[in-house]
Amino acid sequence: MIELRDVTKRFGTETAVDAISLRVAPGELCALVGTSGCGKSTTLRMINRLIEHDDGRILIDGRPVREFDEQVLRRRIGYAIQSTGLFPHWTVARNIGLVPRLLKWPKPRVEARVEELMTLLGLSREQFAGKYPHQLSGGQAQRVGVARALAADPDILLMDEPFGALDPITRETLQAELRQLQSRLNKTIVFVTHDMDEALALADRLVVMRAGRIVQQGTPLELLREPADEFVASLLGGDDRGLKETAIIRVAERMLPLSPRLLPQARVHRDATLRQALAVMFREHADRLAVVDDQDMAVGELSLRRLVENRREE
Amino acid sequence: MKSESLQGRHRATRLEIWRVPLIWLACLVLLAAGMAWLEPLFRWLQPDTRQVIYPHADFLVLLGRHLLVVAAASLLAVLLGVAAAILVTRPAGRDFLPLVAQFASMGQTFPPVAVLALAVPVLGFGTWPIIVALLLYGLLPIVRNTLAGLEGLDPAVHEAARGMGMGPGQILRQVELPLAAPVILAGIRTSVTISIATAALGATVGASNLGAPIISGIVNGNTAYVLQGAALIGLLALTVDSAFERCQRLLDARRA
Repeated sequence: MIELRDVTKRFGTETAVDAISLRVAPGELCALVGTSGCGKSTTLRMINRLIEHDDGRILIDGRPVREFDEQVLRRRIGYAIQSTGLFPHWTVARNIGLVPRLLKWPKPRVEARVEELMTLLGLSREQFAGKYPHQLSGGQAQRVGVARALAADPDILLMDEPFGALDPITRETLQAELRQLQSRLNKTIVFVTHDMDEALALADRLVVMRAGRIVQQGTPLELLREPADEFVASLLGGDDRGLKETAIIRVAERMLPLSPRLLPQARVHRDATLRQALAVMFREHADRLAVVDDQDMAVGELSLRRLVENRREE
Repeated sequence: MKSESLQGRHRATRLEIWRVPLIWLACLVLLAAGMAWLEPLFRWLQPDTRQVIYPHADFLVLLGRHLLVVAAASLLAVLLGVAAAILVTRPAGRDFLPLVAQFASMGQTFPPVAVLALAVPVLGFGTWPIIVALLLYGLLPIVRNTLAGLEGLDPAVHEAARGMGMGPGQILRQVELPLAAPVILAGIRTSVTISIATAALGATVGASNLGAPIISGIVNGNTAYVLQGAALIGLLALTVDSAFERCQRLLDARRA
C-alpha cells in the first residue's frame, strides 16, 4: 500500500506538487493523469525518492520512505520509464537480471528468474536473451523494460509513461498485455500517462492532477459520468465522454439472455466493448446484435436501446 | 564439431585484427636493430659526411627509453585525467568542473618547449622534466574526452540505474565508465600519439631517446641522423596508433 499525506515539492519558488494526499490500495492500478507539468511525474518519482519531497509524508506499507535506505527502497519497487533506460552495453538477459543481482541472489536463481520473466512477457529466450537493446524494436525494448521492473518480484510498480513512445498498435498490444499481467500478478501500480484512453483502459482508479493539485479521483466510470469541473470534463474528451464510457464497458455486462425472437445476423463477441458493439451496429445498419462466445455460439443479444440505457445504479 | 570450427575461425579473426599493428611493430624493430645495414643508403644521400649512422647509442636502447618516458607520462596522465574528470562530474565536485576544464585547456596552449625550459631549473636535466611536460601536455585530450564521455550519457540510462537501486559507485563502474570507454580511449589515443612525437624534444634537455639523433643531426648539420630519428619516431607512432585503433574497434564490436 502506498499513502501520500499532504505531500509538497517545491523547485525554487515554484510549487510543483502542492499538499496532495493519495492512497493506493494493494493490487490497485492507479493512473495519474493531467497535462504536462501538472506534477504527476514528480509525484511518482517522490515515491521511490528519485526526488525528495519537502513536506508531508509518503508511506509504503505504513513505513515512511525516508526511513528506508534509498537503494534498498528502490530495489523493492519496480520502475519502468518511457525511454526504457535499458543499458545499451548489456544484453537483454543481463538488463532484466539487474535488480536480482543487486540483491545478491545466487546466479542460478537469477537465471531462472530472467527466463521466467522473458516467458511471461512473450520474449523467446533463444531469440532475445543475447541481444542488445539497439537490436530491439520499440515494443520489444519496452517489454524488456517492464520485465526488468518486475525482476525482483516487487509488490509495487511505478510506471512513467511506459508506452508513450510507441506506435498506436504496439501501444494497444502492450496495454492489453499489462492488463492481463496485472490480473495475474496483482501488483500495486502507479501509472503516469497523458494518454486519456490509456488511463481509462488500464486504471482501477484515475487521479486527475492540475498545477500540482489533485482535482478529482475515482474510478474511470465515476469520472466520466460526473466530472468535477470543466477541466476534468475536457481532459476526459468533452462530448466524446460518452464514447469513452462505452469503451470501458464490456458487452457481456449489458447483454440480455437469448429471446425467442429471431437472432440478428450481425454479431459481436461477448468480451468486446460497447463501443465496438456500436461500431458494428453502425456498420451493419442493425439495432440488434447477437452476442457470441469464443466458439461463435450465440450466448445473448444486445439492442441499441439496451446499450444506451441509463444503468448507473448498477 | 561445428562449434569447434567456429571457435577456430574466431581465433583466426582475433589474430587478424592485430595484423596491422604487428606489421608496423616488426618494421619498427627491424629498422631499429638493422639501421647499420642501411649505411650505403645514407652514404649515398650524404657522400661528404664521414659518419652517417648515429653513433652515440644503440637505436634499440633509444627506442626503449623513448617508450619508457612516453609510457610513464601517459600512465600518469590517464590516472590523473580520468580521476579528475570523474571527480568533477560527481555531485560533490561539480563546482570544480569549469576550473578543471579550463586548466586542461591551458595545459595545451602552453608550448612543451616552454614547460621544458621552466622545468629544468626545478627538476634538473634528464628524463624528469620531459615526463612533466608530456604529462601536462597529454592531460587535455584525456580530461576533455572523459568529461565528454561521462556527460554524454543518456539521462534515461542514468535515471533507470538510480531507479533500479544502484549505488553511485555501482553506476560509475557498471554503467558510466563502460559506456564512456570508447570516448575515453579515443582521448588516450590522441594523448599518447602526441606524446610520442613531443617526447623527442626531451633530447634538448639531455634526455636520451629517439629525439637525440634528431637534435644531434640538426646541430651538426647531419641530415642522415635526423632521418633516422624521425623514421623511428614515425614508425613508433604508427604502431601505437594502429594498436589503439584496434582496441577501439574491439570495444565497439562488443556492443554492435
